[in-house]
Amino acid sequence: MNAFIDFIMGPMVWVAFLIFILGLIFKMVLIIKDINARESYVYSYLTWKHSLRSIFAWMTPFLPQSTKQSPVFYSISYIFHLLLFIVPIFLMSHIVLINEAFQVSWVALDDGLADILTVIVILALVFFAIRRHMVPEVKYLTSYKDYLLLIIVALPFITGFLAYHQFFFYKAMVIAHVISGEIMLILIPFSRFSHMIVAPLTRAYMGSEFGNVRHAKDW
Amino acid sequence: MKPWKRKSINRETKMKQKVIFIGFILFLFTAVIAFSNTDEPEGLERLDNSVFENPHRPGAVFAHDDHNEIAQIEDCAVCHHVYEDKKLVEDESSEDSPCSECHSLKPTEENSISLSVAYHKQCKDCHFEENKGPVLCGECHIKE
Repeated sequence: MNAFIDFIMGPMVWVAFLIFILGLIFKMVLIIKDINARESYVYSYLTWKHSLRSIFAWMTPFLPQSTKQSPVFYSISYIFHLLLFIVPIFLMSHIVLINEAFQVSWVALDDGLADILTVIVILALVFFAIRRHMVPEVKYLTSYKDYLLLIIVALPFITGFLAYHQFFFYKAMVIAHVISGEIMLILIPFSRFSHMIVAPLTRAYMGSEFGNVRHAKDW
Repeated sequence: MKPWKRKSINRETKMKQKVIFIGFILFLFTAVIAFSNTDEPEGLERLDNSVFENPHRPGAVFAHDDHNEIAQIEDCAVCHHVYEDKKLVEDESSEDSPCSECHSLKPTEENSISLSVAYHKQCKDCHFEENKGPVLCGECHIKE
């Protein structure tokens, strides 16, 4: 059993991170190639100024009009996306493992606080699932894959929460935690999780189209 | 009854079934949590972690003599090693001095391996090598 744990907590972590990072780079190259082949006229009005302006406008909480129209959803979404990165990166248990492997460490969240933030992440995902089911215009655009992706993000947090509290099946829970985390990382380039790099491209396009062609704001 | 009305009723009953089903799962979930491992297992021998000012985890469970009997370790130096000038000194052991004498709480220039890392690696590296024994955080730092 330890050999298996050694594998999923050793080489498999490298594999997951490599697929995650190289996959995103590869996806970026494919998208740019596709643009060059089919819509290269985009470059005639694409500018850094309008692209960055749109990206920063949409990164500023409640600046865009549509975020003001759904304040509850966007509040939860902002908090969720921040915690999605903050909780795992600043979790003490993760830092301890990184310190053992690479002799580097950084400031850690208090365990009690991280516990509460984990519950907030899980509740946010439950909210997203209910929203997909209840809001008609969102439901129309939802397929089973969207629920599957929500479950895939939720699993590392749920298993991590249960493992931390050592409620039941501790060993199985940690193994499920590690594997589900790796599955999430691996799926990023191949699923809609790739919006972490595609979204800025969309903003660059929209920002330039609105800013440089129509001379209007896109937020 | 008109067919579209029937459909809407179907949808409502389906919705109700779903809510009941989800409620049932949540109920099971809470029940399992409520009745599992709430008692502290008695008589666990733990490592003394009083050197740590503000320990984040309870001391690791470790029964020295039982461990060495099962692991068939007779040479103290297997764990209680001695290093000089960052080199292992063969045939010398350090069981009479506390680990914290060389391994301080934070890594130093003399010894880059902090006390907690020393403990973690000492146990886990061997357990991985032997493919036996606990290797996950909570297998040793069992909740109090």
